[in-house]
Amino acid sequence: MVSLTGQGAGRFSQYFGSVAVVVLCTLVAVALRSRIEITSLAMIYIFGVLVASVRYGRSAAVLNAVLGVTTFFYFCVPLHDSFVMEDSSYLITLSAMLAVALVITGLLDRVRAQSDRVRDAELRIRSESMKNSLLSAVSHDIKTPLAAIYGAATSLLEEEDRLDRSQSRGLIGGIAAEAERLNRVVTNILEMTRLESGVEVRKEWHPLEEIVGAALSRFESALSGRPVTVNIPRDLSLVCVDDVLLEQVFVNLVDNFVKYTEPGTPLLIDAVRTGETISIIVQDKGQGFPSGSEERLFEKFFRGQTSGIRGAGLGLAICRAIVNAHHGTIKARTMPEGGALVSINLPIGGSPPDLTELAEGSTA
Amino acid sequence: MTTQTATEPRAEILLIEDDAEIRRVLRTTLGAECYRMREAASVAEGLQQVHARQPDLIVLDLGLPDADGIEVIHAVRKWNRNLPILVLSVRANEGDKILALDAGADDFVNKPFAVGELLARLRVAIRRGASVHREDAEGIFRLGDIAIDLSKRCVIAKGQETHLTRIEYKLLQALLRHADQVVTHGQLLNEAWGPNHTEQTHYLRVYMVQLRRKLEADPARPRYLRTEPGIGYRLVTGQAD
Repeated sequence: MVSLTGQGAGRFSQYFGSVAVVVLCTLVAVALRSRIEITSLAMIYIFGVLVASVRYGRSAAVLNAVLGVTTFFYFCVPLHDSFVMEDSSYLITLSAMLAVALVITGLLDRVRAQSDRVRDAELRIRSESMKNSLLSAVSHDIKTPLAAIYGAATSLLEEEDRLDRSQSRGLIGGIAAEAERLNRVVTNILEMTRLESGVEVRKEWHPLEEIVGAALSRFESALSGRPVTVNIPRDLSLVCVDDVLLEQVFVNLVDNFVKYTEPGTPLLIDAVRTGETISIIVQDKGQGFPSGSEERLFEKFFRGQTSGIRGAGLGLAICRAIVNAHHGTIKARTMPEGGALVSINLPIGGSPPDLTELAEGSTA
Repeated sequence: MTTQTATEPRAEILLIEDDAEIRRVLRTTLGAECYRMREAASVAEGLQQVHARQPDLIVLDLGLPDADGIEVIHAVRKWNRNLPILVLSVRANEGDKILALDAGADDFVNKPFAVGELLARLRVAIRRGASVHREDAEGIFRLGDIAIDLSKRCVIAKGQETHLTRIEYKLLQALLRHADQVVTHGQLLNEAWGPNHTEQTHYLRVYMVQLRRKLEADPARPRYLRTEPGIGYRLVTGQAD
C-alpha cells in the first residue's frame, strides 16, 4: 500500500518531527510577535502544518495542526482575549489548519499512489519486452535446430530406401551436429536464467592457471592449429572465485574466438596482478568486434554478427553476469591493429590463505 | 585395450533409468557393442535386479521416480565395494555429482552424452572393476612421452628426470589408480593428507599446479592432469577409447 510516511521514518519519529516543527514555529512567532500582525503570525503555523503534511504524513500533520493552533493562541494571542473569549476564532483557525493538513496529505497520497502505479506499469512493460525478446530468441534458436533434427530424422524414416549411404550419413551427421547446437543454446539459456535468479557464488582459493587450463582443455580439437599463448606469472598467487562460474567465462570467450575467427588465428591469455586486483586479458588476432558494438556486446541477445554464426547472443552476457557476481568488471574493444580484446578485472578477494601449514615436511 | 576386448563383450550391464527412449538408445548401442543388458526403471526395481542378477556394472540415472538414484549407490556399497557404478545425470549441479562420487560411484557422464564418451567411461569402469594394472613389467606407467616410476618416486618428462615430493607422489599414485576416472577433491585430500584435512582444497590445487609443471609439456593447457571444475581431477591417459 501507499506509504503515508516520509522515507523510512517510523511512527514515533514522524510525531517527534511534527512536534519539533510546532516548537520551531512558536520560537519564530514569539520572536516576531511584537513586530508583525497576528494574522501574519498565524501564517507561520500554516507554513508549519504544510511542512508536517509533506514530510510526516496525515496523523502527524493533524497533531501538528492541533498543537500549532493551541500554542498560537497561547503565545501569540494577547492574554485577555484568549481561550474562553475566543472560542469561535479558535475553532475557525483549528478547522483551517486541519483542512490544510488533510487536503495536503490526501493530495500527496494520490500523487504517490499514481506514481507507484506508473512505476508498476513501467516494470510490467519492461519485463514484458524482456520476455518477448527472450521468447523470440528462444523460439528461433531452439526451433531451428529442432526443425533440422526433425526433418532429417523423418527423412531417414520415410525415405530410407531412396537414400544412398552417403546421403544417410549426411543426415545423421546433421542430426548429431544440430542436437549439439541445441544443447549449447539450452545450456546458455538455463545458465543465464540461473544467474539472473541469483545463483550462489561459491568462492574458494584457486590458482588462476588451473581455471584457464580447465577451459582450454575443453577445446582441444577446436583449438588445434590455432596458436594459444597463456602468460600467467608463476608467482601469481591464488584468487578467491567460484571456479565453475569463472571457468564458464573463459569457455564462453574461447568459444567466441573459435566461432568468430579464421582457423590459424592466434589467441593470447595474459594475467597480471596489481595490488588487490587481477587483470586478465583475452586477446586474438582476428577481425575484432563490429565497430560501435563494444558497449552492447554484453547485453542479452545482442549478436555482433548474425550471418552464418549460430548462438543466442548470451555468451558475453553470461560472462558479464559472472564477473559482476565477483564484483569485477569486463570490457571489450577492438585493437587499433585489429583483433578482439576482452579485459577482465577481478578483486583477488581477500588475503590468500597461508600455504605453509600443510606443506611438505610438516606432515611428511 | 586389446587385451580386454575378449573379456569385455560378455560384461552384463544393469541400466537403471526411467526414460524409455534413453533406455532404448543405450540398449541398442551397448547391445551392438556386445554387452548384455538388463534394465530397471526405478530405485526399487534396480536394487532388486542388482541382487538377482549380480551385474558387472551399473549405469545409473540420478533422477528416478521413486527415490534419488544415490540411494542405489548407498545400498550397493554396503555389501559390494567393487561393483562399478557409472552415473548418468542431466543435472549440471556439481554438488550432486560430488555426493554421488563420494558415496562410491566410479564416474559420471552428463546427459546429453555422445555415445563415444559413454563407451570410453564404461570400458574404464569395467577395467577397474577387474583391477587391471597399467604399468609395464618394470613397474613404469607411461603417459605419451612421460614415464612415471612410482617405486623410485620420479617422473621422466621433457627429457629429464624429476623427483616427486611425498605429497605429489601420493596424489599421482591416487590418480593413476583411478586412471581416466574422476577423483574428487575430498578423495585426493584424504589420500595425500589424511581424513582430517578434507576441507583444505586450496593446498590440493597448488600441489596439482606443481605436479603439472613437472609432467605437462604446457602446464597451462594440460593434456593429462585435467581439472573437473567444482568436482576434482581426472588423469587422462589418452588410451581410454
